Amino acid sequence: MGEYLKTIAIAGAITLIGVVGAHAEDILLGTHVPLTGKLARVGTGMHEGIAVAVDIFNRDNKGRYTVKLITINDETNPAKAVAAVEKMSSQGVVALTGGYGSNIIGPASEAANKAGLVYITSGGVAPGLTQRGHKGFFRINNTQGYSRAMMGLLKDMKVKKVSILYNTKEATSDLAKTVDKDLSGQGIDVVLHAFDGGTSDFKPLINKVKLRDKSDAIGMVAYENDYVAILKAGKVLKPNVKAVVGVWSLATSKMNGEFHDLVQTVYGTSMLPYPAEFTSPEAKDFAETYKKLHGKEPDYLGQFGYVQTKLLLDAILRARKAGTLSTGGLAQEVRKTDSDTLIGQVKFNENGDNPLFSHRMGQHQGEKVVLVWPENAATGDKQFPSTPWSE
Amino acid sequence: MRANGILPAVAVIALYLLVPAALGHVDYVMSLIVAALTIGGIAVAWAMLGNLGGMVSFGHAAFFGVGAYVSALLTLDAGWPVFPAMLAGGAGAAIASVVTMPALRLRGPYFALSILAFAHIFRILATELESITRGAGGILSIPVLPTVAGFDLSSKIGSYYVILTIVLMAMAGYAWLRRSTVGLALLAMHDTEDATKVVGVPSTRLKAMMLALSAFITGVVGAFNAHQINFLDPDYAFSGLWTVLPIVAAIFGGYRTISGPLVGALVIYLVDQLVFKSFLPHGHEIILGALLVAMIVLSPTGLVPLVRQTVTLVRQTVTRGHHAAA
Amino acid sequence: MFELTLQALYSGLLTGTYYALVALGLALVFGTMKIINLAHGELVLLAAYVAYTAESQWSLNPLAAIPFAMVVVSVVAIAVYLLIDRIKKDRELNSLILTFGIGIILTNFVLLVWSADIRSTTTPWFQQAVVFGDLLFSSRSEILFFLISVALVGATWWWLSQTWYGRATRAVSSDRKAAMLMGVNPRQTEILSFVVASILATVAGIAIFTGQVIEPSLGHALTVKAFIITVLAGMGSIPGVLLGAILIGVVEALTVTYFSSSLQELTGMVLFLVVLLLRPQGLFGFGVRRG
Repeated sequence: MGEYLKTIAIAGAITLIGVVGAHAEDILLGTHVPLTGKLARVGTGMHEGIAVAVDIFNRDNKGRYTVKLITINDETNPAKAVAAVEKMSSQGVVALTGGYGSNIIGPASEAANKAGLVYITSGGVAPGLTQRGHKGFFRINNTQGYSRAMMGLLKDMKVKKVSILYNTKEATSDLAKTVDKDLSGQGIDVVLHAFDGGTSDFKPLINKVKLRDKSDAIGMVAYENDYVAILKAGKVLKPNVKAVVGVWSLATSKMNGEFHDLVQTVYGTSMLPYPAEFTSPEAKDFAETYKKLHGKEPDYLGQFGYVQTKLLLDAILRARKAGTLSTGGLAQEVRKTDSDTLIGQVKFNENGDNPLFSHRMGQHQGEKVVLVWPENAATGDKQFPSTPWSE
Repeated sequence: MRANGILPAVAVIALYLLVPAALGHVDYVMSLIVAALTIGGIAVAWAMLGNLGGMVSFGHAAFFGVGAYVSALLTLDAGWPVFPAMLAGGAGAAIASVVTMPALRLRGPYFALSILAFAHIFRILATELESITRGAGGILSIPVLPTVAGFDLSSKIGSYYVILTIVLMAMAGYAWLRRSTVGLALLAMHDTEDATKVVGVPSTRLKAMMLALSAFITGVVGAFNAHQINFLDPDYAFSGLWTVLPIVAAIFGGYRTISGPLVGALVIYLVDQLVFKSFLPHGHEIILGALLVAMIVLSPTGLVPLVRQTVTLVRQTVTRGHHAAA
Repeated sequence: MFELTLQALYSGLLTGTYYALVALGLALVFGTMKIINLAHGELVLLAAYVAYTAESQWSLNPLAAIPFAMVVVSVVAIAVYLLIDRIKKDRELNSLILTFGIGIILTNFVLLVWSADIRSTTTPWFQQAVVFGDLLFSSRSEILFFLISVALVGATWWWLSQTWYGRATRAVSSDRKAAMLMGVNPRQTEILSFVVASILATVAGIAIFTGQVIEPSLGHALTVKAFIITVLAGMGSIPGVLLGAILIGVVEALTVTYFSSSLQELTGMVLFLVVLLLRPQGLFGFGVRRG
């Protein structure tokens, strides 16, 4: 509830700032994110980043342009997301940023396409999203980028065999299959274990990994509750693996705080170390504005929300200056993006996908999350071999 | 009696002409109304089963999902046109209901929850049978509703007319059935099953027929939703919401009346989205739960009978007043 | 394979006894009032969240939170009873819809108060391994609640068959009027069965909080699981609940071991339907459920 109110308050504050800049030209920007429902937590996180991008833009363009952000809660429901896009379209937004979950983004961006609006997101990795021939659809991340990071780390470890446990949900099974293909292509043995989202006792499954697979590493493509349950089973059965590697929502400050013992030396995708260390001027600016607006350290969700919105706003500015903003030139401007961002290089292909996207891997080490892959982004060495249950 | 004939006619005309004329240009509100009608369609099917068949189902998502999948896959993989595929979706759901029919032998709560078990099973099958259903990744870009005689049915107003027609046809069929001998037999059976068995009404066959019909309607509505949202995955197609909201709507509107479920769905969905959501953005479903509880405790027959009673009462009072004056 | 099977049986046994704990309260109310409380899983979840608050805010051990949770859950359960008591017509089906609505209220209440974040105990003691002969692996939480569960099933069975209140409860369930003539107050015994069910729900909630992960949507899944077990057990059979629950636990664990863990829910559901359709009186019961 508190989070939600804060989000609303921030959205309101941004609108107010817009009103103060009296002579500036107003630009309406729309966003729909799940602030309630299954994806409430990640949606709120993304929205925090979007708010930061808008705040920085308005500061940098003071007196000339003011972006007003309209936020609608889609409640993690496709029909409500479609209604939200239509509502914002009728209010005259120039583009949309946001969206979480491929099953929400799919129909919502379909509606945006019908309305001729540009839609940019980082909330859904389903490969099909960028293969629908939408001219105005852009996504800064994708399954390949996650797979690349997981594969890169495992290759560095020189493991021979990996057991991958994955939730049968849409995003997780997509990613698990991509990882399987990529690892097998590298000559690494993969055993896939699908599990239903309702699974609470992982001991029989972990026992299969321990006694039958005899893998060098456990991969997890799942969600927070699955990670915790799998790691609990691991602590009991103590399979003899060298590493436990997961993906999203795992190498986070929240997991480090709440499940401290359980996640030690576990790896997960992470763009930032924790506590965050920002070096480039843009990153520092982002972190400071984030703290100013939300009163806490930025996380990976905020970072993605920020980057996608910043790229969109840059393109809006270019289109406005070229006088093509109102004549459908925005999609072309977004397509020209070639920018080094907080999440690495972003350059869109003809489908609006960002083939350069590659995630980074972090490892829980004590109170910290240390970036350990790729080498050029690493903030420390990995503790290897090690698992939460090794002595 | 006369009022009973005129009122529905007025309502139908208003729904076909006034609503699009007044709100057709507001895409957002039309979207909400279409979503409300989708819930209303399931609610009608659910209430029909409850009222005529005496069966409460907690798993109508099963039929909704099957209808959606059958129609989506027929249009995508077999190249069927959308409308025949939607009918096939309904037929698919009816066939799926045959699988659930052994449950008809069970009493109330057992039947209700065994249908829920079927919904779970279908969801898992949709995830596992990847070669047919494309698995957990779901289906994107399901074909939109077609353009007929120059009128684009995939537009907001177009899809409004399609779902409205589906729901009204379901209600008309329901009304006709209720007045028919079959309906009377069913209603009688609901009161005293043993008695009707003695006089030779084949109760199980009638119940099976009702279940198949209810599943058919729900399947067509599911198919409509697939072509309107253009997306499906197992979790969404078999989501518990497709069961919960129609039950709330039907109970709220009055599941023993023809119009109650639709009225309930429109009121619940629109009030929830336009009013409750604005002052309780986070857990406004809690109000739906409270409404359901309040309705069962205070007026188990629902809103429509309540209003009707009130109107009759007022009318009687007025007439009596007249008599007294004369 | 032998080792895998052995561990699967052991895991299934432990999971089963915890399922039994969840199902016991539902079966009790079902047996005495012929009412399925579809908010039962949410009551279990509520207890788990009270334990979470006790642990995270007041640094209490989850076991020490049981009395608080018991009071909270009992108060809610009595409120549920009083609402059910107001239903005059078609009690069996209307109470189903009523408790379904209460379940929605409780789930969203939990969401509003505790947010959608996942929770689990942070007390390391519960998670530590207990290993027998390097073959059977379990956590302390599982062993503890295995013992508690078996004891509670026994106690509930003893209460129903050996004590005056228990027999009064059974008398009310079989013939309300006759029981009244014998000097039993039916409302009192019904409230009592709701309170006993809340106590059982509370213990189940603590078991889940210490052994697994909780989130607001879990309540409904628990209700469904509890209902499946009650059906397997057969109406009113208390020892049957334990056996039915263990059966489900073992079948699920074996499915994971021999086939795939993505099918484990499926086998549970299929087992439920097969028993319901072929042996409606349940595996261990005598009642009749046909329509």
